[in-house]
Amino acid sequence: MTEVATAPAVPVTGRAHASLARLVRAELRWIFRRPRTLVVLGLLAVIPVIVGIALTLVDSPGPPGGGPGGDGGGESLLATAGGNALVLPVGTLAMALGLLLPLSAAMSGADALAGETAHGTLRGWLLAPVGRGRLLLVKSIGVAVFTVTATVVMALTGVLTGLVINGTGSLFTLSGTTLSFPAAMLKVAIAAGWVALQLWAVGAVALAISAWTEHPMVVLASVLGGVIVFSVLGLLDALDWLHPFLLNHSWTDLGDVLRDPMPGGPLAEGALRAGCYIAIALSLAYARLSTKDG
Amino acid sequence: MSTSTSVTGVDVAEAASAPPVPLAARTRGLRKLYGRTVAVDHVDLDVPEGAVLGMLGPNGSGKTTTIRMLLGLVRPTAGAVSLLGHPVPEHAGHALPDVGALVEGPGFHPFLSGRENLLRMAAAEPRLATSDIASAVGGALERVGLSDAANRRYRGYSLGMKQRLGLAGALLVPRRMVVLDEPTNGLDPAGTREVRAIIAELHAAGVTVLVSSHLLAEVEATCTHVAVLQAGSVVAQGELAELLESGSPALLVSTPDGTAAMEALRGKRIPSRLTPEGVRVDLTATTPPEVIAALVHAGVEVHEARRDRTGLEDLFARLTQEPQGEVRS
Repeated sequence: MTEVATAPAVPVTGRAHASLARLVRAELRWIFRRPRTLVVLGLLAVIPVIVGIALTLVDSPGPPGGGPGGDGGGESLLATAGGNALVLPVGTLAMALGLLLPLSAAMSGADALAGETAHGTLRGWLLAPVGRGRLLLVKSIGVAVFTVTATVVMALTGVLTGLVINGTGSLFTLSGTTLSFPAAMLKVAIAAGWVALQLWAVGAVALAISAWTEHPMVVLASVLGGVIVFSVLGLLDALDWLHPFLLNHSWTDLGDVLRDPMPGGPLAEGALRAGCYIAIALSLAYARLSTKDG
Repeated sequence: MSTSTSVTGVDVAEAASAPPVPLAARTRGLRKLYGRTVAVDHVDLDVPEGAVLGMLGPNGSGKTTTIRMLLGLVRPTAGAVSLLGHPVPEHAGHALPDVGALVEGPGFHPFLSGRENLLRMAAAEPRLATSDIASAVGGALERVGLSDAANRRYRGYSLGMKQRLGLAGALLVPRRMVVLDEPTNGLDPAGTREVRAIIAELHAAGVTVLVSSHLLAEVEATCTHVAVLQAGSVVAQGELAELLESGSPALLVSTPDGTAAMEALRGKRIPSRLTPEGVRVDLTATTPPEVIAALVHAGVEVHEARRDRTGLEDLFARLTQEPQGEVRS
């Protein structure tokens, strides 16, 4: 081991930073090499298939028992998803948005900072050095890419399952009109994009908590607890002044995508809300990260 | 602030005067509080360029905290740090690309192989061109003797292999300074020798090295300079050779006839005493040639005569065990 050492063959550049693209590539490789990521994506991919098959077998309006979503929006949609290739992907997205998708976004945010701190690997990048602002940028890009992937995977298998079970002739909107295949795909894409934005907001909050702790579990528990508390608060009419501030207030409006014409109000409001959450959460994350001991 | 680095009878006066050698790293009046606990206080550390400085101290003496402040990972409560001429943590970004570090043990992802872990680390190194990353990683792995295990998952590495991988991370790029926090932790004797060899190579290449250790032999074997920390303060620092000889100078003469030697020296009024290793002659008032001449003239057989070093171990024990009034908790 000693022969090679004295004259290091590696040429040295005069750069002060590694390029952002290189950091993002390394981050994405790390995210998508992680077994946990792949397992979660695999599970999310299977959900629409299971739902599609179950609805075909049961073939009765009204789902048996409460799903994990629990807040009604996804379930009432799912009631019409049997025999409809357009409603299935959007319906399963709406259902998973209740709990499963936020959980996976939280996992991604938890691993990004708290998980890396726990492994002692964040220090490696800080010492390279990667500036703390760049670090947060790379991390939030990573979380965003993961949430988009999760949504796209679910939407895709949903569409495929719906098409396999019901064929292209089953693309009805909730308003009763029939859509062409491209128009239907556009609606699914809008739904997936909107869900991804909501999840990015969840991921940003997770990143903010992640910057404050070195225990990924704390991040998961806080986000999960937050989603549940927000859902409960959203059900209390006495607190309706608070509802516009709850991130998941408009999550049940996802079904609007399936109407023809599409009412944009609640969805736009939801997107704006998600944007605010992202801005605030990432600011908090930066405030913490920039002063944190590495 | 920078006046009282010598305590406990060890006189290291150079610390305060203007250093002739440029410093690779320097701290002044460094202080770090965690809540109400004082982790580090009044640390004035000088790391001369090209030196191998051993930071010696018992567990909890503030070695790692000092290193973390030196690298800008931790913001000091008070005091100033300069690293390769840049103030830290304000401009740590200018210094860190040329500094390799292994701090607080190796940190890697268990599900990635050693090589993939290093590739991820290398991606963040500013000084590496993208096209050189793979070869730099290969070279670093070879340098620490991990080539054969490079494609195994980090999860399955032994403690020594993990430590080697951490070392490889510090050596990814040719550096101006390398900081190693307890680099021989968990290494077998062969691994320890290899680390010493790496440090020696870095030193030969003109790289400044800062090594922390609680192992005295380690520091004595590898370092040109030493700084001793105790309870969060530097209690002694300077060149290793100076510190080693800072006790009363003495000559150790091995002879078959100790009593005759003692008598001959007494005749010349040279103080000496008999020890198990030979006759220990005090050199405060005389020189080795005079001692040997006196012995030879008296017909005493001299097999060997060498300087009796106090030994860093004695020094260390003295520095860290004597109760000290001025060191607060």
